[in-house]
Amino acid sequence: MFRTIAIRIVLGLLTLFAVSVLIFVSTEILPGDVASAVLGQGATPETLAVFRAELGLDRPAYTRYFEWFFKAIQGDFGVAMTNKRVIIETLEPRFLNTMFLAGYAALIAVPLSVGLGIVAAINEGKAVDKVANVLSLMTISVPEFFIAYILILFLAVQYDIFPSLSTVFADMSFTERLYVAALPAATLTMLVMAHMLRMTRTSVLSIMSQPYIEMAFLKGLSRSHVILRHALPNAAAPIISVVALNLAYLIVGVVVIEVVFVYPGVGQYMVDGVSKRDLPVVQACGLIFAGAFVGLNTIADVLAILVNPRLRNPR
Amino acid sequence: MTEFDNLKTMFESGKLSRRDFMSGLAAIGAGAALTPSLLSSSAMAATPKVGGTLRIGMEGGSATDSLDPRTYADSVMIAASLACMNGLVEFDNAGNPTGELLESWEAKPGAIDWTFNVRKGVKFSNGKTLTADDILYSIAIHRGETKSPAKGILAQIKEIKKVNENQIAVTLESGNADFPSILGDYHLVVVPDGFTDWQKPIGTGGYTLESFEPGVRLVFKRRGDYWKPGRANFDMVEIRNIQDAAARTAALQSGQVDAVNRLDARTVDLLMKDSKLNVVRTKGTGNRFCFVSRVTEKPFDNNDLRLALKYGIDREQIIKSVYNGFATPGNDHTLDALNPFYNTEMPQRKYDPDKAAFHFKKSGLGNTKIELQTSEGAWATAVDCATIFQQSLKKAKINLDVKKVAADGYWDNVWLKVPFCAVYWGRRPTADQVMSQVYGGNSDWNDSNWRKPSFDAIVKEARAELDQNRRKEMYWACQEMIADDGGMICFAITDYLDGFSKKVMGTEPHARYDMNDNRIAEKGWFA
Amino acid sequence: MRIFGYKPSLSAWIGILIIAIFLIIAIFADWIAPFPEEETVSATWDSPSADYLLGTDNIGRDMLSRLIFGARMTIGVALVTTILSFILGTVTGFLAAVGGQVIDQALSRLVDVMLSIPLLIFALIILSMFGSSIPTLIITIAVLDSTRVFRLSRAVAMNLVVMEYVEVARLRGEGLWWVMRREILPNALPPMISEFGLRFCFNFLFVAGLSFLGLGIQPPFADWGGMVRDNAKAISFGLPAPLWPAFAIAIMTVGVNLVVDWILSINSRPSGASAEM
Repeated sequence: MFRTIAIRIVLGLLTLFAVSVLIFVSTEILPGDVASAVLGQGATPETLAVFRAELGLDRPAYTRYFEWFFKAIQGDFGVAMTNKRVIIETLEPRFLNTMFLAGYAALIAVPLSVGLGIVAAINEGKAVDKVANVLSLMTISVPEFFIAYILILFLAVQYDIFPSLSTVFADMSFTERLYVAALPAATLTMLVMAHMLRMTRTSVLSIMSQPYIEMAFLKGLSRSHVILRHALPNAAAPIISVVALNLAYLIVGVVVIEVVFVYPGVGQYMVDGVSKRDLPVVQACGLIFAGAFVGLNTIADVLAILVNPRLRNPR
Repeated sequence: MTEFDNLKTMFESGKLSRRDFMSGLAAIGAGAALTPSLLSSSAMAATPKVGGTLRIGMEGGSATDSLDPRTYADSVMIAASLACMNGLVEFDNAGNPTGELLESWEAKPGAIDWTFNVRKGVKFSNGKTLTADDILYSIAIHRGETKSPAKGILAQIKEIKKVNENQIAVTLESGNADFPSILGDYHLVVVPDGFTDWQKPIGTGGYTLESFEPGVRLVFKRRGDYWKPGRANFDMVEIRNIQDAAARTAALQSGQVDAVNRLDARTVDLLMKDSKLNVVRTKGTGNRFCFVSRVTEKPFDNNDLRLALKYGIDREQIIKSVYNGFATPGNDHTLDALNPFYNTEMPQRKYDPDKAAFHFKKSGLGNTKIELQTSEGAWATAVDCATIFQQSLKKAKINLDVKKVAADGYWDNVWLKVPFCAVYWGRRPTADQVMSQVYGGNSDWNDSNWRKPSFDAIVKEARAELDQNRRKEMYWACQEMIADDGGMICFAITDYLDGFSKKVMGTEPHARYDMNDNRIAEKGWFA
Repeated sequence: MRIFGYKPSLSAWIGILIIAIFLIIAIFADWIAPFPEEETVSATWDSPSADYLLGTDNIGRDMLSRLIFGARMTIGVALVTTILSFILGTVTGFLAAVGGQVIDQALSRLVDVMLSIPLLIFALIILSMFGSSIPTLIITIAVLDSTRVFRLSRAVAMNLVVMEYVEVARLRGEGLWWVMRREILPNALPPMISEFGLRFCFNFLFVAGLSFLGLGIQPPFADWGGMVRDNAKAISFGLPAPLWPAFAIAIMTVGVNLVVDWILSINSRPSGASAEM
């Protein structure tokens, strides 16, 4: 079992390495360059050439990759091309903000959706099931910023319950942060709930047709008892994997939410980096995102191996 | 009561906006000379109060911003730099250059040799007194080996030198009567001689920088010893980056900020109904929205096609549908009606499907494919404008293909490259800058690629001409040449729309930029 | 009445009805819509009236007509995209399951890599390589989407590969392709159909979401996701404009899923792997 887990972790690291190469290469081939993006309408061919040389864009790509990679694994992402700030100093607080918001949303969304998914499974075909089903489908039928606007309209503008600006600052206390970030957390919760809810429900139900579950029913156990004690532990692996995927989404996919709620996370930093073609910034953000994604997936796989007896000894 | 007194009374009682008042004055032929005193007396009527924290929500910043003046490109950094630093030249609300750190100036005939007087007794936030060396350094960083966008406009300086501690002399390559306005460019802010630490800027402004998180917020604190009397009245100023228009509006409505820039024209009507808010509209000084064709490429080398497209665009419809009426129609050049050299007698080009069809037929192009590339990266509503254009051309039996392209990299990959695309131009302080940057034969950004030696000759002559009437004739001719022959369809010039809480004072419209020339931190106060 | 030999339940009938109505609207849009798709007929965001039953949109076009024409574009693009992503995802997924450890690991890690590159960068690369057009749009979404289909189809097939009848076929000496087509596919169908329903709906929004890259539907054509996007600002002022296209998407989503749920329930023993992504 430990060997399986070790292999999974090594594979995760290899994946991350491959991603780092790809991110580097792909940012290099993005059309347009930082020089003309930064200088905009004010650029002349000679100012462009000066700026390019200043940034070291005239050296070969592979030397720059290895320099970048070895510094990056030590946490040094270099200096932003556009404003000459040390990237890690900008990135770190933003990454913590992103993690805070993702964690906040996950703490609400995961228990809620897994719980509702189980309730729906217990009451399969009944009104509760159908309502949960349709409501969760509704939330995925609209773009995320639309949910955000509706929440702002009602909870911030009409009834002044929560602030519409969710900017968190270094000097804010934890409870202040919770209050300020309430609306984006609620929006994210609605976004990821449908998927987790449906998957929990389906996984539990698909286990329900297994012979040992029929056996449990034949013993005369109640439906809820069978689901909670017999079906759920065996359905855990796919649920974990779906939860991991959605957690990754909470970290990686929240750019739009950050823009609407003016939340200083990594996503906005990357978008600004991309539009200004600030390659070190884009690469740093890309690597952080990829690391979060691969890390979460690896943890999910390891957990799945741990909880599922059949996966502990693969063929 | 004379017409003038009438206007004056209406203005002072608030029935007329400053802008209407100014245009009223122009209409009755009152000279510009007497207006500044009148305007300032009215503005001074209320004495500014000191105190409070002004929270501004602004679009036009990003996580890659820097306080280095050689990188300024958008509103947030312009406003931030003017909070803690000063420019060389300021503009009054009508758009005329007035002294800032360069207190006054004088030109020898021919407008080649200039002397500027440096303001005395101004102190930087580190205690140093301003001298001519600081001014020279602050200009020098934009010249020579630099990536500064101001490099281009300063290229006309042949020699710049210190006369004494409080005076500098400038010699230009060729005469330019508007040179002081050139020095009002927003990149040209003043720091002490030899200064390089842009993370902690030192300036002569009314505030000092407390903290700066790029793309998030800037916080400023009042210095208390500002050299401009009655200015910089807030204890603290906080500028927050809010890129999304709906988020800005919501923040203003829910009282989380006191001022926002760039309101969405389509929803501004509803904001005006809010009794706690004050919407400030600056008519026709905003962005100039254009569809520009390259006259050197087929089929746009055919002027009949260009005229067909100019007559075939329904400007009124676009202004009504997309800008909710908060724009003025463009007359196919990017000079606005507030510019003293705007050609007021050239008829406004109107939507005329018959004329469009006539010119299109005359062009003999038949079924040639005409493709317009547009993108939300050009400006947010560029696609909507193109859609209405496409539809209005249909009535003239002209088929236009509208292609929506990526917002990302639009200015790199599309503008100046494809034959027909969407572009916007910002306001330039002088007619000369408009003519030479947008249409000049040597300009890198001559996006219509319309280059005429005869046109360039007139522009060059007008630049050095000190007789305003002669200049006016020349610029009028330029505008006619561009509109009748050029490749640019300039269909709308938008209004700037700022939103303020009612308690913020000093929010007059300004001829140059929104948010009272991005100086609301300096010019405003709480009632 | 029976469909494919099965009797639909009441909710399935509702779903079928919704889909049928939308399909009819899409096909006969030219006859049904009261106004042309692109014509500005009134002021921006007019409220619903006798002339404009659902009001007007962000540049004064008739909302109802846009919705009707939008059905064609939205359903068409989403359908083609989803089918393409399923072909791609299923073939690679089955191959990973049947083809042995090496192929499996190679494909799985490749998908991991693809999924962990931020969407923004990924889409930009595709855009820079292929330019922007409706085919590019379809291919981009299909490729991105197929990674998720891959995970599902691989998981489903993994469970089937160990079944006796697959072993038998292999011992008979049948080729990979034959095994995938004749033994795996028929048995993997139910969970795949379920996923098809969900992904079909995700793709509506995906089309709209990608328009910031210039990959969206070209003007003046309408698509529902884009209509929500274009009109979203109106909601800040309590105007209902963006709700109409959002409702259309929601109803279509619910309709498709009602049918999907029914198809799933036909198969009395859903495969355990259907819960995987």
